[in-house]
Amino acid sequence: MNILRQIVIVSLINFRSIRLRLWRSLVIVVGMACVIGVLLSMLSLTEGMLQAYKNTGDPGRALVVSIGAQSEGNSGIARDKARLIMDAPGIAKAPDGSPMADPGINSGVPVFRLNGRRAYNNLRGFGPKGVMLRPEFHLVSGRMFRFGTRELIVGASAKTQFKGMNVGDKVILPDGEWPIVGSFTTGDLLDGQLIGDTETVMKAIRRPAYNSVLVRLSSLNAFDTFKKALTTNPALSIDPYRQSDWYKKISAGFSTFFNVIAYGIAIIMAVGALFGCLNTMYAAVAARGREIATLRAIGYGALPVAVSVILEAVALSVTGALVGAAIAWTLYDGQMGSFNVSVFKLTVSPALIGMAILWAVAVAVLGGLLPSIRAARRPVVEALRAT
Amino acid sequence: MKYLPLIWTAVMRKPARTILTLLSVTVAFTLFGLMMGLNATFDQVAAKARADRIFTNARFGGAGMPIAVAHQIAAIPGVKVVTAVSGINGYVQDPKNSAFVLMVDENLPKVFGDWGITQQLWDVVQKDRTGIVMSQSQATRWHKKVGDTFTLVSRQMKRADGSSAWTFKVLAIGPDFQQNSNGYIFGNYDYIDKARPAADQGKIGEADLLANDPATSAELAERIDRAFANSATPLVTITEKMARAGNDFGGLDIKKITGGIALAGMFMVLFLTGNGIAESVRERFAEFATLKTIGFSDRAVTVMVVLESALPCILGAGLGVGIAAVLARQIPKLMPPDFGIPLPTISPLVLVWAAASAFAVALLSAALPILRLTRMDIASALSGRA
Repeated sequence: MNILRQIVIVSLINFRSIRLRLWRSLVIVVGMACVIGVLLSMLSLTEGMLQAYKNTGDPGRALVVSIGAQSEGNSGIARDKARLIMDAPGIAKAPDGSPMADPGINSGVPVFRLNGRRAYNNLRGFGPKGVMLRPEFHLVSGRMFRFGTRELIVGASAKTQFKGMNVGDKVILPDGEWPIVGSFTTGDLLDGQLIGDTETVMKAIRRPAYNSVLVRLSSLNAFDTFKKALTTNPALSIDPYRQSDWYKKISAGFSTFFNVIAYGIAIIMAVGALFGCLNTMYAAVAARGREIATLRAIGYGALPVAVSVILEAVALSVTGALVGAAIAWTLYDGQMGSFNVSVFKLTVSPALIGMAILWAVAVAVLGGLLPSIRAARRPVVEALRAT
Repeated sequence: MKYLPLIWTAVMRKPARTILTLLSVTVAFTLFGLMMGLNATFDQVAAKARADRIFTNARFGGAGMPIAVAHQIAAIPGVKVVTAVSGINGYVQDPKNSAFVLMVDENLPKVFGDWGITQQLWDVVQKDRTGIVMSQSQATRWHKKVGDTFTLVSRQMKRADGSSAWTFKVLAIGPDFQQNSNGYIFGNYDYIDKARPAADQGKIGEADLLANDPATSAELAERIDRAFANSATPLVTITEKMARAGNDFGGLDIKKITGGIALAGMFMVLFLTGNGIAESVRERFAEFATLKTIGFSDRAVTVMVVLESALPCILGAGLGVGIAAVLARQIPKLMPPDFGIPLPTISPLVLVWAAASAFAVALLSAALPILRLTRMDIASALSGRA
């Protein structure tokens, strides 16, 4: 009888008897559910944030910032440079023949969170091409701001995090209060932000230069042409990015910190769960002593017995992980959350759940290994005699 | 206490199970200690915040505001007293040696009376306007005694003659106070202000105030912001309670997160110990029947099971919180220097919470087995049919 078949048979016998050891087995399930529930609840934040950053970047658009800029906020593009950038080759043309490009502004505006704490929200400037560049932009309620007027529109999700973000509310800018006249959605990070007319906003916040220029590439492959034209002009000293790469770049480091904490806590909990797993599997092996001895006596190998123990631990642990993932998903997936200025949907993604299953397998293998060796090594005669 | 040997035998009946349970409980309580310790830190900071104190800053620019704004705020109904708070940021001799001199007006002692600096000490710089008062820790740091001169080189604030070196006489050394572990140096606002070029005069860093009614201070803060929304200096005003609430990390409510994690850890442990004690009792069902036969009351049996269940919980809680206390001290060495979350404090309240949780886990774990034991049919248990 080959080993694989033996493993299958022994494991099946084993699984059928789990219900006899139900409570003890639940220790592994509950332990793992707690570990994974906590881990995925915390990671839903970084996952959601990364997802939102990813959604915001479109490979068909390019963002131009000043050389070395780490954010749009600390990038500066003077007006004459912006004109040169907009004349570069590789930019798609609007129906009227003008380049599909929009110099923009991006500034932090002091606001209060719903819980009363101080925070900043992003205020963006849109020029005449701002909407045309973003087919994902849709007005949800109210109307569009008028150019040259001190009016704002607000992303539909901003009000889930900040005070005073409804149509009809007023936002305090350095030159006084600006009314919010409409609400929009883009399905990405802009959904948490405020938008006004670039030139009017620049006057209000006393900024002479733009922050960045956003352009629609004439084709996905046009980026190289565009980049080459801009970077060969040393007077410009700017960095063009494919917009998707830009959001990848600025989201690269910032989730690390939070992830370190989330994984650190989960590892501590997993160690606790591991002890529980060891406990349960030793007890399970002891309880199955005669069954295992009988199997060995009728010719089953030590390996299939050992593997069946580990498989039991894996099955219970993965069940627990799935329960934990389900709890985290129910509680947090799709909820609106925010971190610093970013507003986004918390996400328990399939990738996270897959990782949770790997964790569960790892804990189970570690927790099942020693008991499985004991099961395989126990002398048959002694085990048969035991009551 | 006469049961102790019995309980010890029960606990040590399966040493592997006991030790693994203990380790698991220890790990869970390590996490519990760190999480609740973090909450304790937030609570301590928040508890020091006064409900009636309000901070007002310029909403934009960060370059401060005209002193006229402080006077206008003082006229708003509900405001008790306003102080114009400013300071000189600079260094002593070497740019690496940062120092800060607080510029004090006559109202600052009223708004920050809880600092514990006596009125006499505040008055020193009102009587001799050219001098400063240093806390003991600052005096030690700069090797100054009363009568010495102290020179601060400012990066931003120039004197009327164009120099950036500000020289003061040390008039007095004051006691340090808990809210500001770095100590303080303060001087007279008017004197320093008048020493600046005319164009820079009359500027302050922020305006801090007391509300007449602590209960409505949040509403007063909103009214102040609204009053200045369309002025030349829009303000952003927040109560000290809100500003110091602390458990806000980029918008995340850390207390909610830590509480959830601590609870999940306890739930995990509850299942583990509950199962362990249930198994232990099941295995010894006949033994318990014997005990009852020879006259052990239900109460005695209950006490024994509770103690058996409590032993790993209490021991594990103690060990876990102990490890947490050690880890809490190591965290600064492990984390980057700009780490945004404060250190956990293993306060007495954390210990109380840990003990209460350990007892709760022990009692809940023991509940079902005890129920079975008190309802046991001794005859069938003895014959092994139960």
